[in-house]
Amino acid sequence: MAWLALHLLLVVSFSCRDIFRVVAEGPTILPVSVKNFSHKSETALSTVLGQKLLASNPVREALATYVQGGGIETGYGYFAPNVPGTYRLVFELHYPDERVEYELPSIRSGAAGLRMAGLLDNIGRTSYDALREILVKTLAQSVWRDHPDVKSVRAILGSVGLPSIGEFEKGTRESYEFLYAYDFSLKNKPATPRDR
Amino acid sequence: MERLIEFLFRPATDRWLILLRVGLGLQITLYSLSLRSDWNYLLSGTVRRIAEALLSLQSHFVPRLGWPISLGTQVGLHEETVLFVAWACLVVAGCGLLVGVACRFSAIVAWFFHLCAAKSGGFVSYGMDNFMTIGLFYLMLSPLPDQFSLDWRLRNLRPKHSQLLGFWRRVLQLHLCIIYFFSGLTKCLGSGWWDGSNVWRALIRPPFNVIDAEILVRWKYLFPMAGILICLLEFGYPFFIWSSRTRKIWLFGVCGMHFVIGVTMGLYLFSLVMIVLNVAAFGPGLFRREEKPTVLQPEAAAS
Repeated sequence: MAWLALHLLLVVSFSCRDIFRVVAEGPTILPVSVKNFSHKSETALSTVLGQKLLASNPVREALATYVQGGGIETGYGYFAPNVPGTYRLVFELHYPDERVEYELPSIRSGAAGLRMAGLLDNIGRTSYDALREILVKTLAQSVWRDHPDVKSVRAILGSVGLPSIGEFEKGTRESYEFLYAYDFSLKNKPATPRDR
Repeated sequence: MERLIEFLFRPATDRWLILLRVGLGLQITLYSLSLRSDWNYLLSGTVRRIAEALLSLQSHFVPRLGWPISLGTQVGLHEETVLFVAWACLVVAGCGLLVGVACRFSAIVAWFFHLCAAKSGGFVSYGMDNFMTIGLFYLMLSPLPDQFSLDWRLRNLRPKHSQLLGFWRRVLQLHLCIIYFFSGLTKCLGSGWWDGSNVWRALIRPPFNVIDAEILVRWKYLFPMAGILICLLEFGYPFFIWSSRTRKIWLFGVCGMHFVIGVTMGLYLFSLVMIVLNVAAFGPGLFRREEKPTVLQPEAAAS
C-alpha cells in the first residue's frame, strides 16, 4: 500500500511538474498571469522531487534510478499543448573536383526514421551550442563514411514551418528557415565505423 | 480504508496478465526486428556516450548499454558485437514472453535491455519507449506465469503470489488513468486542439506525413471534431472507464484512436503498446463477467 501510494504520487508529481512547465513556457489558452505561478510551482515541485539536489546526492540518485526504471520520469503531454514544428538537417558534400551533392541523414528503416526525427528535434531545440555541434558532427561522420572521397562537409540545420489549412489551400507549402551551419573538413582519415 | 483495500486487492483471474505478457512479447519482438538494420547506427559511438554522460548526471545506477559494452571490452569484444548480443537478448526475451517460456526471467531481460537501449539512445527515444518501460516494469513484478504460458502447461510452474493478480491489474489501471488525464489536460490547454489545427499539423508533420496533405485537406471539416474528441477521450478516461456502462465506449474509443494514429501517422509500435496496455488493464470482463479466480494456494485462500 505504501509503495503504491509513493509510486502513484511520483507519477502524479512528475506529470504536474511537466504541465506547470508547459504553462510557464506557453503559449496556452490560460491567461498570461498564470505563467508566473506555473513557473514557481514547477520550481517548487522540482525541488520536492529532488531535482535541485547535487547530482551526487544519494536521495536524488535513488529517486532518479527508480523513476527511470519505472518509466515515470516524464509527464505525458505528447503533441501538447500544441504540435511543434520540426527540423531538417541537410549535408552539403564538397568534392575535390568542385562538385557539390546534397544528402540527408540516412537510415534504413521507418522505425529508425521516427527516431532520427526525434534526434533532429533534440538537436534543434537544445540550447547548448557545444552539444548541438557534437551531435551534428557525429551525423556528418556517418555521411562521410558513405562518401569517403568528399573534401569537406557543410551541415545545414533549419526549422521546418508547417502551413495552416488556409495557407495550404492558397498554395503555401512547408517553409524552411535557416538556423545553423557547420563546416567540417577532413584533416586526418575518414571516420571509422567505431567512431559512429 | 477497508473499501480502499477491497478496491486494490480485489481477486482477479490472470486473463489481463496473459494479454499483457503476449502483447508486450509481440511488442518487444517487433521493436527489435524493426530496428535491426539501424540498431548499431543509433546506439553506438558518440551519441550513446553523450546520452549516458547526461544520464549519469541524474543517476549512475540507471541501466545503460555502456555497462555490457565495458564488460565486453574487458574480454576483448567490440562494441558492435555487444550491441548485437543485446539486440539478440531482446529478440529472445520477446519470443520468450510471447509463448510464455521462463516468463519472469524473460520479462526482466526484456525490461533491462529495453531500458538500456532507451536510456543509451536518449536522443533517439520517444514516447513509445516510456510506455514500453512502464508495461515491462509492471509485467516483471506481476505474479507470473499465467495459465496460457508454456511454463504453466509444460513445466507445471505456478505463481507464488497469485492473490496479488488483482492488485497489479489495479496499479496498471490507475497508472493509465493518470496518463490519459494529464495527456488530455495538457492538450486542452492548447488552442490548436479545439479548432482542429493541431490534428492537421500532426498529420502533415514529417515524418508522420503518411497521408498526402492534398487528400487530408478534403477532410478539414472533421479536424475540429477530431481534436475535441481526442481531448474528451483522454481527459474523460479516468472518469468514464470505471463505470460498466461507459467502459466499452471509452475503451473502444481510446483503442480506436490509437489504431487511427498508428495507421495515419505511421506510429505502429506506439499504437500497439498503447492498445496492449489498455486492453490488458480494462479488457478482461468487458463482455462477460470474469470467472471466479482460480485458487492456486488453498492454504492461503483458507486463511
